[in-house]
Amino acid sequence: MNKLQKSAWINLAVIILCMMIFLPCFLFMAIMNTKGLVYVLVCIVITVFLSPVIYIIHKKKGFEAGLDEREKTIYKRAFTISAYGLAAFLGFACFIPFFILGGQSLIKLYYLPLIFMATLFTAQFIHSSAILIQCALEAEDG
Amino acid sequence: MGSDRLSNQIRRLRLDNGQMTQQELADKVNVTRQTIIAIESGKYAPSLPLAFRIAQTFGVPIENVFQYENED
Repeated sequence: MNKLQKSAWINLAVIILCMMIFLPCFLFMAIMNTKGLVYVLVCIVITVFLSPVIYIIHKKKGFEAGLDEREKTIYKRAFTISAYGLAAFLGFACFIPFFILGGQSLIKLYYLPLIFMATLFTAQFIHSSAILIQCALEAEDG
Repeated sequence: MGSDRLSNQIRRLRLDNGQMTQQELADKVNVTRQTIIAIESGKYAPSLPLAFRIAQTFGVPIENVFQYENED
């Protein structure tokens, strides 16, 4: 397993962990109908659980310098795939409720940050998965 | 427009150069073993600088390592 694959596996694990911790916390606060200054707590929770993701994103800038040319190609291709995935996910998340509920219906406000978080996680998830799949496809010893 | 194909003689050249392993070649040209595997099997076309580094490692001209075929 090379450096790129290791990084992708770690990335996947961190993303899944973040989702497992963040989503129940956020949903709990949303269901409790917290508002006003109490939302500062929500922001702290978001920051705490978003930090690992931000750390990964920043770490990658220096990390990319240690890759060889094929790995950089895989990395960039995965980034493009994740950008398309992000756009598709965001599109579905916004349009599906619109088509199902109709233009005159109302949705809960907590749906908005959930869309944001889910889109962020999805983009990272697709990026890591795309790296692992590309590496697996080229791994056969010819 | 026909399809482009890049074949190579890396495996043969490695064996001719004292049974050089993929890892040894990878270390000499400063890439990972997985990249050498991908190039040997034709799944990845290397950049020109890398292609020249591989040819220099074997001490042969680049056209002895890589062959370009255009199937029109």
